[in-house]
Amino acid sequence: MGGQTGFGPVLTDDDDDDGQFFHADWEARVYALVRVLQRHKVINQQFDELRDAIERIPPAEYLAMSYYERWLRAAEMLLAEKGLLPDA
Amino acid sequence: MPRFAPGTRVRARAADPDGHTRLPRYARGHIGEVVEVLATWSLPDATVHGVTQPEPVYTVRFSAAELWGSGSHAVLLDLWESYLEEVS
Repeated sequence: MGGQTGFGPVLTDDDDDDGQFFHADWEARVYALVRVLQRHKVINQQFDELRDAIERIPPAEYLAMSYYERWLRAAEMLLAEKGLLPDA
Repeated sequence: MPRFAPGTRVRARAADPDGHTRLPRYARGHIGEVVEVLATWSLPDATVHGVTQPEPVYTVRFSAAELWGSGSHAVLLDLWESYLEEVS
């Protein structure tokens, strides 16, 4: 939430200083999972559906999550809504 | 056919939509100038619901002073036609 009043500056990958796109194996797995779900058209391929789900995460949860935690939560929500997972 | 030609002054719509949108909150209600017509893409707000709604997408330049009341830089946003209205 960098850039919003009280949340400090906007952080970028450059700020991490390690040049890594993923900071743990599970993050790469979440990325791959979402891309496979998109490839198989289980969720929208243009990312709009995932973004919409991310924006529907309850605000207190959203603010406490890292980037890929939000991806995972959004993917769980969408799969539950489509009847492919029990309610997350 | 795109509704707005480069150089046209446009106002970003002020309405707060219920779901996902690619119109940033900080630009809503503000006036900018069309820089170029980029392409035709489906409106993300509709894509979320599985509806394909192709529209012209424009690069629109907003001055920082217009958006935030100060600053000498400009912000370029890529905005769908539905997000814009002509300034009379």
